[in-house]
Formats: sequence, C-alpha cells, structure tokens
Amino acid sequence: MNTLSSVLAAPPLGEAGGRPQTLPRSGQTLLRWLAGSGAFAALRRYFAQRRYIGAILPLAILGLWQASSSFGWIEPVFLPAPKKVVEAFWYMLTKQDLLKDVWASVFIIAQAFIYGTLLGVGLGFAAGLSKPVELFFSGTINTLRHIPSVAWIPLIVVWLGLGAPAKIVVLAKSIFIPMFLNTLQAIRGVDQNFIELAQALKLSRRQLIRRVVFPAIVPVVMVTLRYSVGLAWALVVIAEGISGLEGLGFLIFRAQNLLMTDQLLVCMVLIGLVGFGLDRLLFLMQRRLLRWQRSFGGGYA
Amino acid sequence: MLEVRGVTRRFDNLVALHDASLSVGEGEFVAIVGASGCGKTTLLRLIAGLDSDYEGEIALDGQRIVGTSLERGIVFQEPRLLPWLTLWDNVAIALENAPLSAAAKKEAIAAQIALVGLSGFERAYPSALSGGMAQRAAIARALVGHPSILLLDEPLGALDAITRMRLQEELLRIWRHEGVSMILVTHDVEEAVFLSQKIVVMDTHPGHVTATVPVDLPTPRDRASPAFSALKGRVFEALHDNAAVKPPEVEYLI
Ligand SMILES: Nc1ncnc2c1ncn2[C@@H]1O[C@H](COP(=O)(O)OP(=O)(O)OP(=O)(O)O)[C@@H](O)[C@H]1O
Ligand SMILES: [Mg+2]
Repeated sequence: MNTLSSVLAAPPLGEAGGRPQTLPRSGQTLLRWLAGSGAFAALRRYFAQRRYIGAILPLAILGLWQASSSFGWIEPVFLPAPKKVVEAFWYMLTKQDLLKDVWASVFIIAQAFIYGTLLGVGLGFAAGLSKPVELFFSGTINTLRHIPSVAWIPLIVVWLGLGAPAKIVVLAKSIFIPMFLNTLQAIRGVDQNFIELAQALKLSRRQLIRRVVFPAIVPVVMVTLRYSVGLAWALVVIAEGISGLEGLGFLIFRAQNLLMTDQLLVCMVLIGLVGFGLDRLLFLMQRRLLRWQRSFGGGYA
Repeated sequence: MLEVRGVTRRFDNLVALHDASLSVGEGEFVAIVGASGCGKTTLLRLIAGLDSDYEGEIALDGQRIVGTSLERGIVFQEPRLLPWLTLWDNVAIALENAPLSAAAKKEAIAAQIALVGLSGFERAYPSALSGGMAQRAAIARALVGHPSILLLDEPLGALDAITRMRLQEELLRIWRHEGVSMILVTHDVEEAVFLSQKIVVMDTHPGHVTATVPVDLPTPRDRASPAFSALKGRVFEALHDNAAVKPPEVEYLI
C-alpha cells in the first residue's frame, strides 16, 4: 500500500536530463528532496522488479466490486457498495464503540498467548530435560490433542460462563499443545555434537541449558508460535461467535443474523488486519531473536 | 607428558582401537596419520576424556585422565561453532568457568583472536565466516584457556590447498608462541612431515599403531628439499607396509 501510494503520488519525472532545469525553484527543491529521500530509487525498483504486478489483482477486484454496485449487478444485501462499507466502519467506530470489541478480542488472544506459551515452553522444556516428566505428560497431551479446540468450548463455557476467561482457557490450550510438543521435539533434536562441545568446555548443566539448549530451540519455538497464534486468532472469532457478548467474532455473527452485510465486511477486513498485525509482530520478534541466522539477514553490522 | 599405553576401545563387536600406545612430550608436536576408520577420532576422544569406556591407560603428567578438562583443548573435525554466538562469544565460552577476572578474560580472548588472525571479526556470527576462518575460530576457542595439550582432529581437512598451507604456517606459529603440546590428526602425509616432530602411523582392522617415525628435519622446513621427500617416502612406506594384502590407498598418492 505504501509503495503504491508513493507511486500514485509521485509526479512523472526523472527521464529527461534537461527537464529539471525548466522547473520552478520549488519544483527543483521538491526534486532534490525526492532524490535525497530515495523516492527515485524506490520508484525505479518498484517498476524494475515489476512489483506492480501484485497490485493488479486487488485493484481489479476493487474495481469489479465498485462496478457491480454502481451498475446494480448484485443486490446490496449480498454485497454493499465499497462506500457503504466505509460508512459502516465509521458508524461502528464512532457510534458502536468498535475499538472496544477489537480490544476485547485482542485482549483474549494476548492473554491466551502468554499463558499457552509459558506453559507449553515450560513443560516442554521440563519434559525435554527429564524423561520421567516426559513420560508423565506426553501420553495425556498426545491424547487430548485429538479433541479439537472448538469441541472444548461448550464444556468450558458451562464451567466459566460467557466471559473472557472461558475463551482464554480454550485458546491457551490450543497454543499450549503445539508449543509443548514442538519444544520437546526441538530439545530432543539438539545437535549431539554441541552437547559434546559443552562437555569438552566443562560447562555446567545450567550453562549448557542457557548457552546451548535454549538458543538451539528458539527457531522451532518461534515458528510454532507464529503458526499457533494464527490458528488461535481464527479460534477467537469462532469462540466469540458461539458464545460471547462482545468482540469481533460476536460482531461478525451478529451482523450475519441481522443481514447487515456492510458491518460483516468491516469485521472481515478488521479480522484480517489484526491477524496480519499479530503475525507481523511475531515476525519482527523472530527476526530479532534469530539475527544470527543467515536467512534472516544475519551477518554482522 | 601424555602417555597412552595399550589402549583398546570396542564398539560392540567392532574393535575400533587395539592396543594403541604413544607418548607426547612437553611441548612436542605429534602427528597421527592413517586411513579413514583406523580409530584416529576414537583415540582423540579418549584422550579428550569425552569417552571413558576403554581398556588400558591414558595418563597426563602421570595422572590417569578422568573426564574432560580444560587442560586438554580439542578442535573437532568440523569447526563446531555455536551459530547463535558471535565469534567473540564463541571463544569466550571456553573461559566461562575459568578462575579469571572479567578484565583478564577479555584480554585473553582478544589476544587469542589476534593470534589466529581474526581481529576485526569479533562481532561476526559463524554464518558470516569462511570455512578457514571458522576453523581458526575453533582453534582460538581451544587455545584461549591455555591448555597444556591441544588435540586437533583433521582441522584443515576440509580446506583448499592454499588456505591449508597458510593455516599450517599459522599452526606452527601458534605452537611456538604458546609452547603447547599438540596432537594433530591428518590424512595428509606432507602436512604431518611439515608440522610435526614425530609421526604416529596407524592402520585399520582393527585400528592400531603400526609405526612411529621421528621427524628430525631442521625448521623452517622446505617442502621441496630431498630430505623432506625422503621422510615423506618413509611415512608412505610405513602406511603401506601393513597394508600388503590391501590395494594401495589412492588417498595417499598425492
Ligand atoms: N560411537 C560409535 N559407535 C560404533 N562404532 C563407532 C563409533 N565411533 C566410531 N566407531 C567405529 O570405529 C572405527 C573408527 O572410527 P574413527 O571415527 O575413530 O575413525 P577415524 O580414523 O577418525 O576416521 P576418519 O579419518 O574417517 O575420520 C570406525 O570403524 C567407526 O565405524
Ligand atoms: Mg575422524
């Protein structure tokens, strides 16, 4: 979006060498500023790498959408005009406290994320370092994981009610299980050669865990996090739809029941954006933690 | 003084090492050559204390070795740097438990990195190092705690000929500078003759020591000199003596 708007906003210049001289002073200043800010380079890269190809499809869809409502191809109740959706967004934001609902959903996944990850990595670590702990937990967890998280919702809601706690529990569980299994597996997979090295360097068990085992499993833990948070976000929507009084999932199912397609579309876009934002956040964290890997632009600076 | 006396190591039915004996004097440079699978790594792991399931006796300065020790540094067959640590931290980790002040550690690490010629790369991650640089970093890590003996398992085996020759010179320089005893395992007879004061020749089935060839050439050694070639010839001979029933190993026809 960023690059697209900069392309649309940028004036058509840069080809002819003589042209800048004919520009008024302010134009030259702008030109110099553009050149200095790297806008030229970005523009040239944008077209040289044919990045605009990726913008064609969404623009076409947007155009088709606008056309279908302008020419009345589709009933507005099935697909309201883009403008209507934007208006619905503004209405929900100003009159219906939309941010409160977004926050309710984000709050649930954030808490579930913290509990599920701490418990999953913690227990996975314990099981990875101690065979008895593994034997104690893994049978139960391997059995439980075959009951889909959605199937837990009714029972947990009976216990904990319609509020946030029930959803946090279900989601935390859905994050916990892959975290536990993959952490355990990652510890089992730590290169034996590194263990031997630690032995030769006379590292204590604590040092071995801190300097070797822990960093070695970070890549797996981060990938699992991104994966399970993605799944959990989808689950928030379902959980709020099945049983809830607030949140994006609640709104989207309410909009469906009331045939408010414009609000429904607003919710869909928001769910997508928040999901993207969550993943982006974890990606940045992953890149920071794994900057030693060459594939993350490691090296030294 | 390191003494290995009548050491045998079995893996189930396989005798990886049979009745092996050798000694390494204070500050001596000993090379071990032999075909693949003759138990060189096995022997080095025993000396390092990474493996204690053997018959016979291994003693350093009269004391039977038990477990690993910072007295015995080891460079593995591959650099084995921890990819999540910078070069500096990879060397520093060897001093984690050294009874030194933080300042003294810092000084030792910087000096060791300089000695292997990697100054300026302290903050580089292993993924940004070339093979030869990584191997030098591994040598720095093994040396930084000032061991009395350094065990090198084919440290230059995976490098190209030019880099290898440069690192051979560097190994010699480090050896002189540190006064450390060295055991260098290698496939390369010329490397053994160029570097060491004594060559232990091993053979397979079962892995055992067939000969010990003293290298009494003056230093610096000239790889092209007749004396050098003659000694190389003697080592090849020792390698093949015991392999009368086997076809000659192409590996050694350099
Ligand atoms: N952990 C082990 N379990 C079973 N057999 C082993 C083990 N380690 C080594 N061996 C066997 O012992 C023999 C000697 O192995 P070793 O690694 O010492 O050879 P090497 O001389 O170092 O060979 P290379 O030059 O190829 O590195 C081989 O036949 C190998 O299969
Ligand atoms: Mg070996």
